[in-house]
Amino acid sequence: MNNLYETLEICLQDIEQGADLETVLFRYPDLADELRPILEAAAGARNMAVPSPSVDVVRRNRARVLQQAAKMREAKVKPARQLWLASLRRLAVTLTVVAVLFLSGTSLVGAASTTLPGDKLYPVKRTWEDVLVWFTFNGQEREALEIEHENERLHELMELFAAGRSAEVDFQGLVTTQNGNEWVVSGVPVVISAQTELRDGPIGVGSVVRVRGMTQGNGIVMAERIRLLSSDAALPDAAEEPEVEEEDNNEGPNQSNENNSGPGSGNEAPDIEVTKTPETEFEPRDESFEGVIVSIDNNLLVVNGIVIDISAAEIVKGIPGVGVSVKVEGYYDLSGVFIVTKIEFENNNPGSGNDNGADNGSDDSSGGGSNDNGSDESDSNDNGDDAGGGGNSGSGGSGGGGDD
Amino acid sequence: MVFPDVILQMNAYGTQLNHVKTGAGQIMSVYDERQALTGLQKLDSQAIGAIYDQYFPEVYRYVRYRINDDTSAEDIASDVFVRLLEAARKNQGPQSSLKGWLIATASHAVNDHLRRQYRRPVEALSESLADEKPGVHAEIDAREENRMVQSAYAQLTAEQQHVLALRFGQGYSIEETAAHLKKNINAVKALQFRALASLQRQIGEVNYE
Repeated sequence: MNNLYETLEICLQDIEQGADLETVLFRYPDLADELRPILEAAAGARNMAVPSPSVDVVRRNRARVLQQAAKMREAKVKPARQLWLASLRRLAVTLTVVAVLFLSGTSLVGAASTTLPGDKLYPVKRTWEDVLVWFTFNGQEREALEIEHENERLHELMELFAAGRSAEVDFQGLVTTQNGNEWVVSGVPVVISAQTELRDGPIGVGSVVRVRGMTQGNGIVMAERIRLLSSDAALPDAAEEPEVEEEDNNEGPNQSNENNSGPGSGNEAPDIEVTKTPETEFEPRDESFEGVIVSIDNNLLVVNGIVIDISAAEIVKGIPGVGVSVKVEGYYDLSGVFIVTKIEFENNNPGSGNDNGADNGSDDSSGGGSNDNGSDESDSNDNGDDAGGGGNSGSGGSGGGGDD
Repeated sequence: MVFPDVILQMNAYGTQLNHVKTGAGQIMSVYDERQALTGLQKLDSQAIGAIYDQYFPEVYRYVRYRINDDTSAEDIASDVFVRLLEAARKNQGPQSSLKGWLIATASHAVNDHLRRQYRRPVEALSESLADEKPGVHAEIDAREENRMVQSAYAQLTAEQQHVLALRFGQGYSIEETAAHLKKNINAVKALQFRALASLQRQIGEVNYE
């Protein structure tokens, strides 16, 4: 059989070189009958051969191939740029959609702009605010917008208070006062209950927090949850509140503060007139008040729920101690801490000491749980500080008694 | 001894070619396969142009031999070069023999084409043939003999078609065909014999019909 294949190949080569079929087969008489149809088929196969493509075909397809090569080169060289362009394109589409939504929903947003918490369109107002913040890429503008929105929250609260409406609110601000279970956050009285959830760490005066709760008819917010925020979180610019300014002029905020301090300190702290929201355009103003020390942490004292810093104070007389009555003069700094310039401890007066003890006792009875909450931070600090602090953390009343 | 002078010139398609001036004064284009392969890896347009000029006619002839359709043959032949570019981009292109790679790829492309064609409904094909104009029939009559061979050829296996296309369409020697098929020469001779015998049988059947 191999001989047949070999002979076929020889015959094919001979024919290819111009030999005649019969001449070729004549040399292989034994295989001629078998090879003839095969060689005829081979002739047919050879006749099928096609000429080279025309110049047009070559040129046309050359252009196509080179164009494809150029595309591939481009794709290879600029993948990063194409990704960038793709993301830019996505952004453009998003912005377009937002613009369309803005144009079509302007009336809706406009209608929602004056709503208050509890209104049906209020979610539209908040969502639109989020959208505006989301698409503000400049850091300063974004911060200003966030502050503006927080101001709006306070404005809404004031309107709710004025209308005596109860609604679920959330706002953020600076804790300026902690008087037992009654706090003041950016000028808003907030009441803590046993159900209030305190999140993300100990919260003290000067902390930036986000409050969620229900407004009450008496102008307070019953807190459901208070979350500690980072110190650089946006704070409302209370100075922009006209009502707050008026209250400042009239020493008005003390109305709420008096309400707050009333149950906690009884009649012993009638002169608190300084629990107000720090203003953005800060101008230190000398103020003074009297009160009772409820905790001590190095140079930071808490007097009637107000943090006072005595590191730069001139001590006129007396020795600091928990339960001791004090008279202080000083000013609030930007963080809401009262910087004491002059302080007078009245621990030499046995009468006042007894009063202090009674005061502390009343504090405990009126809001023992909240007092503990309020002093958690100072407790831990006290433990690391001194033995006196330890006594203090145990009980305000007994601490006061010990000091006495 | 006279050394040939190497001259750089541009061909008709703008491709840079090395031209060799022989001692007799004749100028002969020299295609540098190694240089072309290096350029291909970089998707260099001049190298790709040179490769195309060198091999497109051969690839086209192979494809056209196997497919009796000018348009499809043109598309498939240029597709083979696009596949070459894609392979080069992925560093999966030919390392040594461009021609071997191109013909092998052309063979796969034709097989794919024929497979797709085979899946087409036969009835539709028959209807289209029945609707053809008389002029087309006249052309078919003029090529009757060749058509019979082509019809018979279309009935062969892909491997048989491949070996006949290389041997009779491309005019490759038995050794060259063996190299393309990656088989030994005796195996190719046997394959060639069976392919021609099969073609001859198929021609007889086409004649009978």
